Amino acid sequence: MSQESEQDTPFEKRSREVLEESTARLDGRTLSRLNQARHAALEQAQRPARQAWRLLVPAGATAAAVLAVILWIGRPPGVEGTRTLSSNTIDDLLLLADTDAPDFVEDGEDLEFYEWAADELES
Amino acid sequence: MQRVTPHMTAFVTLRGVYNTPVHLQFLGAERSRDHDLMTSRALEQFLASVEKRAFKIAQLGLRNDDDALDAVQDAMMKLVQSYAARNSDEWRPLFYRILSNRIRDMQRRRTVRGRIMAWLPARDAEDDEEFDPIAQAPSLEPNPAKRLELDEAIGVLETAVAALPPRQQQAFLLRNFEGLDVAETASAMGCSEGSVKTHYFRALETLRARLGEVF
Repeated sequence: MSQESEQDTPFEKRSREVLEESTARLDGRTLSRLNQARHAALEQAQRPARQAWRLLVPAGATAAAVLAVILWIGRPPGVEGTRTLSSNTIDDLLLLADTDAPDFVEDGEDLEFYEWAADELES
Repeated sequence: MQRVTPHMTAFVTLRGVYNTPVHLQFLGAERSRDHDLMTSRALEQFLASVEKRAFKIAQLGLRNDDDALDAVQDAMMKLVQSYAARNSDEWRPLFYRILSNRIRDMQRRRTVRGRIMAWLPARDAEDDEEFDPIAQAPSLEPNPAKRLELDEAIGVLETAVAALPPRQQQAFLLRNFEGLDVAETASAMGCSEGSVKTHYFRALETLRARLGEVF
C-alpha cells in the first residue's frame, strides 16, 4: 500500500499521486484478468501438489529443442546448412539450457517458441 | 476402594481408543478446515490489495500488458504455493520479491529472444494482438480538462520510470509507489538497505532532472 511520509518531497508526492491515478484507470479487461489470476492462484492452493511429470514433460521438450539447436550448430564445417554463430548466440542457447529452463517453459508459450526456433534452424 | 474388574478396564480402553480420539480427530479436522479457510480469505484480501499496483510495476518493467499480467499471476501462484503458511506480515515483501525476480527473468528472456530473433529469418506477424472493442472503449470522464492534464502527467512519468535502469526502477516503485520501507524493499530486491537507498536516490535524481520538481 502506498503510504505518504511527512518527509516526502513534492516530487515524491506528485509522482505517487500520478501513479495511483494511472492504476485507478486500469481498464476492465485488465481488472478482470487480475481477478481471474487471483482466483486461479487461490484455487491452486486447494488442489494437491503438482505432479512432477507435468513439469518434466515441457522441460524435457525444451531441453530437446535446445539440444537440437546446439547439435545443429555443431555440424562440422562444409556440411550443408551450417551457419556461423556469434559467441553471444551460443551463450544465449546455453542460457536457455541452464537450470532456469524449466521455469521458462512453465506456461507452455515459450515451448512453442523454442520448437519453432528449432524448426526454423532445421529448415 | 472399588476393585477394577476386567470389564471396567475394557470399557476405559474402548473409550480411550474410540471415543476420545475420534472426537479429537473431528475437532482437529474442523480446526484445520477453519484455519485453511481463514488463510485463504486472508490471502485473497492480500492479493486483492496488491494486484493493481503489482500490475503497474510489472507493466512499467516489462512494457507489455500481457507479460505484466503473466508476471503478476506467476507471483500470486508462487506466493500461495510456497509461502501461504508464513506470517501474513511477511507476504508483501515476499510477493514483491517473487514479482521482481519474475520481471527480471522475463526481461532476460526477452533479451535472449531478441538476439535469437535478430539471427533467425523474419517471422510473420500473424499472431499479433487481436482488436478488443471492450479494452478500446472510452470510459466516461466528468472533467475532460483534468483528465487531459493527468493523462499528460501519467504519460511523461511512466515513460521516464520505464527508462530507468532496472534496479533504480524497482527501488523507486517499491519505495515510493508501493510504500515498502527500506528494509522491506531490500528484502524484496534481495540487496542491502544501503543499496536500496542508493538506487532510490539515483532514481529520484534522474526523474527530477527529466521531469522537473513538480511536473
